Amino acid sequence: MTSTIEVTNLSKHFGKVNAVNDVSFTVAENKIYGLLGRNGAGKTTLMQLLTGQEFASSGTISLFGQAPVENAKVLQNTCFIKESQRYPEDFRPKDVFKTAPWFFANWDQEFADRLIADFRLPLDRRIKKLSRGQLSSIGVIVGLASRAPLTFFDEPYLGLDAVARQIFYDRLLEDYANHPRTVILSTHLIDEVSNLLEHVLVIDDGKLLINEDAETLRNRATNVVGMKTAVEAFTGNREVLHRDGIGGLSSVTVAGLSESERRDAHAAGLELSPVSLQQLIIQLTRTETKEFEASA
Amino acid sequence: MDDSRPIFAQVAENIENDIISGALPEEGQAPSINEFAAFYRINPATALKGVNVLVDAGILYKKRGIGMFVAAGAQEQLKGARRDSFSSEYVRPLLAEAEKLGIDSAQLTQMIAKEANNS
Amino acid sequence: MTTTTALAQPASPLKRITNVAKLHFANPWTTLGLPWIILGVIFVGMLTVWWLIYSAIDESARESALEGTQFSGSSFFIYIYMMVVAIQAISITFPFALGYGVTRRDYYLGSALAFVALAVIYTAGLTIISVAETMTGGWGMGVTIFAPVYFGAGIAERVFVQFVLFLFFLFFGSAIAAVWVRWKATGVTMFFIVIAALLVGLIALATFTDSWGAIGTTFVTLGVAGVAAWSLVLTAISGVAGFTLLRRATPRNAA
Repeated sequence: MTSTIEVTNLSKHFGKVNAVNDVSFTVAENKIYGLLGRNGAGKTTLMQLLTGQEFASSGTISLFGQAPVENAKVLQNTCFIKESQRYPEDFRPKDVFKTAPWFFANWDQEFADRLIADFRLPLDRRIKKLSRGQLSSIGVIVGLASRAPLTFFDEPYLGLDAVARQIFYDRLLEDYANHPRTVILSTHLIDEVSNLLEHVLVIDDGKLLINEDAETLRNRATNVVGMKTAVEAFTGNREVLHRDGIGGLSSVTVAGLSESERRDAHAAGLELSPVSLQQLIIQLTRTETKEFEASA
Repeated sequence: MDDSRPIFAQVAENIENDIISGALPEEGQAPSINEFAAFYRINPATALKGVNVLVDAGILYKKRGIGMFVAAGAQEQLKGARRDSFSSEYVRPLLAEAEKLGIDSAQLTQMIAKEANNS
Repeated sequence: MTTTTALAQPASPLKRITNVAKLHFANPWTTLGLPWIILGVIFVGMLTVWWLIYSAIDESARESALEGTQFSGSSFFIYIYMMVVAIQAISITFPFALGYGVTRRDYYLGSALAFVALAVIYTAGLTIISVAETMTGGWGMGVTIFAPVYFGAGIAERVFVQFVLFLFFLFFGSAIAAVWVRWKATGVTMFFIVIAALLVGLIALATFTDSWGAIGTTFVTLGVAGVAAWSLVLTAISGVAGFTLLRRATPRNAA
């Protein structure tokens, strides 16, 4: 499969802070990637490096086979929608939608118009008079309607309510299905996007913690609940990701179970429940003292 | 889409249910991958994986350039498979629960007969 | 079933640069609308004041009263305003354009093109008005608002001086903006401290070497156009500095 992005031993230091620390991965063409992690884990810095907005301290980045920094040939195939993206203050939304097509060869005006209606965005109001959610919806609309072969969404929906976020997910899936492209979505609302993702990258403290197919990751762990003795007998020497308990009851998170192991568990009177991507990532990144942002 | 099994397996099972119920008739056209993806709000790659399970089992077949169709005999094939697993899926858990509560098999048979009459 | 999103055909460098230039005019209110409105208000205001003076004093006193208007700095506002326009334009559209996949190089060149266009537009506009001012005999009252002596005597000289001044203020503004984009408020403060230190240094140098007289003579010899021409050196330095700074700048959200 063709790689859209290849990153090798990439690091970015700000003074003594290692925002991105020796990261290597590839991004396959036309898949939806989730870039997940806590606040300050290095997600935004990583995306800025990938789009040539930030300069690497060391390591290499290749987008469509070339280094992205100051490379118009590569960058005109990208669209980067940032958290709280700023717009020229005297702009109105309609000015944004007038200028965006100049920069995106695949821009679809009809799709943009439909999204504008979906999000009920007032086109004539000045940018500075828009609400946080309305500002976010501008970014989401530009990101979707640009149909850039490589689109980055960095926490694109600050201030968007649940209904608007669902519109974003639905339109993204629908349009992605008809016009496959590579999408990298950074978010802390992991549960909401979990089913949209085909591949997951988890970054923690500047390091790449997980680089795995979303489906594999979702089946990676199961919660096993039951009598302490039965749970312990069942888990045996298995790797336990997380352990909890009250009184005689015990709850453990174990790595993926086979069908026969599931039957054994049921036979032993144990209850199995899924571990969501979000729970799994919380457990895997909990070694630090910082609180995971997802709980916010 | 929220139990502990893989999403693609749940998609496959949902399609099977629609074939068994007749909502998707034999020789009828099945929704496209993209329609499944949009309906279940999942990544199209996951939907494709689910559909491929059924294609591999001969439940669905592809007509080049047109789409996917439900195979003739698919309904009976699926019912047969479900009957085969009925015992392990439903009866054994029932017996296990009954045993936990001290219901013997005679009482259980009686309860089943009673429920069957009521419905 | 689906059409794979093809990589875009590379747009020509000129197209990419003109697109950035157009971005600065997407909403022409700040760059083209507001300045003319403010100029218009100043113009009407000054005319009113002069008309009041004109009607209040008798013929003999008029000439000496109007002497003062030869040096009214009212149209100077537009230059400072253009500097502010350049600062705003760069500091706000830079992160915006980079999100659209524009390179820093294309961004700077496109912005420079937009600034040259602004200089042309404003020079043309001011020239037309100043010609009208001369032709109407100072709006019928001998008032000078748009054709003051310090912009040179003839039309050609005035066009040159104004164009060059617009270029200077726009590019100096874009250099300030580049400092802002790179280092925010701290950088701009440092920048002005350095500029002030340079000026003080030059003044001190002139004073200690007792060369004020020579400087005065030089300015007189150069004439208005000559002095303006020398500002092109500063404009070029500002342009190169702005470009160099922006080439290594990273768009950040922090204020």
